[in-house]
Amino acid sequence: MLHNGWRILPLAALAAAPAYAAEYMTVEAAQRAAFPDASAFVPVPVNLSADTRARLAEIAHPPGARDPRVWRAVSGGKWLGTFFADAVIGKQEYISYALALDTAGRVLRLDVLEYRETHGWEIRNERWRAQFAGKSAADPVEVSRDIANISGATLSCHHVTDGVRRLLALNALLPAP
Amino acid sequence: MPFCLRPDGWIARAQVWLGTLVEVVLPAPDATHSRFVAAFAAIAHVHRVMSAHNEESDLARIGRDAHRRTVTVDPATYAVLTLAKTLFRESGGAFDVTIAPLLARHGLLPESAAASGSRCGRMEALRLEAGLGVRAAAPIALDLGGIAKGHAVDCAVDALRAAGARRGLVNAGGDLRVFGAGDWMPVRVRRPAAPAQFLQPFDVRDAAVATSANYFRDGHGMLVDPCTQSLHPFPGSVTVVAPTCALADALTKIVALCPADSAAILTRYGAHGFVLAEDAVQGATTCAASTANLRLPHAAAA
Repeated sequence: MLHNGWRILPLAALAAAPAYAAEYMTVEAAQRAAFPDASAFVPVPVNLSADTRARLAEIAHPPGARDPRVWRAVSGGKWLGTFFADAVIGKQEYISYALALDTAGRVLRLDVLEYRETHGWEIRNERWRAQFAGKSAADPVEVSRDIANISGATLSCHHVTDGVRRLLALNALLPAP
Repeated sequence: MPFCLRPDGWIARAQVWLGTLVEVVLPAPDATHSRFVAAFAAIAHVHRVMSAHNEESDLARIGRDAHRRTVTVDPATYAVLTLAKTLFRESGGAFDVTIAPLLARHGLLPESAAASGSRCGRMEALRLEAGLGVRAAAPIALDLGGIAKGHAVDCAVDALRAAGARRGLVNAGGDLRVFGAGDWMPVRVRRPAAPAQFLQPFDVRDAAVATSANYFRDGHGMLVDPCTQSLHPFPGSVTVVAPTCALADALTKIVALCPADSAAILTRYGAHGFVLAEDAVQGATTCAASTANLRLPHAAAA
């Protein structure tokens, strides 16, 4: 392609940085961002029955769904809203996220807490595995922590949408505060 | 500590918008809560008005009504359509946002996104009127997937600047923009044949970068050729460095579909392209030398 204004670009420098992970917020930081006026976050035990799990799965079934952690945000004796910490595993991504709902069950905030390329994708993807041919578990695998400057890192996040739908359905089943 | 500190002192936050992970990254002194809120609000706004999946979005209303009456749209939608129309003309039809019916046919968009009676190649039928009005001479179905993400990044950068941020970075699923006259930012592009590996072909300063490829889509080419009405095979990847992210985003599609003619369009917009072959031992670039906003690696600049 040495015509029409294009020229050869040598690509000698190959930076091998297989997989990446990024941590954005802690659960505590996301709680404070969503409910800055809260004086306490009271854990709500979630012990879903098999029936409830099945009902939730009919509404949305994000891969890797487990029982989320749930808190009531309170200020003095006043209930401000509900806070969920959950995670989904997609085809390429592991995403942990925080969902904050007001007392009427409306979404206040949705923050990604942590993002990383998943083991599942690493295992399933032939080309990904091929690059480690000859390496053992003892070999260090570099993990890049700055996704921010990767161009073309488009990864699907639609499992988060499934996860949020599941949490909204679960919210309706929680005992009244 | 309200945020996760990055090793280099920049603070990142991420939310899910536009079907992807959107990161806003600010140097620690500039990283205030209100600036992050402003940036994500700007992204969320573009997500709402330009979604192909929301019946109340500008796109849905244009598909439903624009061939019957003038539809008033959001300034962001109007700006994107203005640029899309210009690029359609300048690229001889290669950049076409009226391909929603074709995408729906290939299962890449819901059937509802293809307005009844709409066909591809209808960009000429789209008229932009004064006062943010959009009118269509025939039923039209728009998909802004090739430009809206870039524009959302630009809107977030505008919002950050308006909120007083002097430097920062916004990345919407790989369409990114670095702003402020700060240090050079190394930009990494995935190696097409092994997407978990990165190439490090250049640094940018106060510039936008977008890459088109189909690293993670099994069996689905992500480029649609409006001329042949088919999914375009997409070996390798195309990266464009441009002054704005909407331009970078859109220009990658033009380079991918008509590489021979694209150098002139890139030059017109002060943009540069990088095309990587599948094996990525070497690529092609329109950049003959480093510029004020783009620094080539030593090997390429030699």
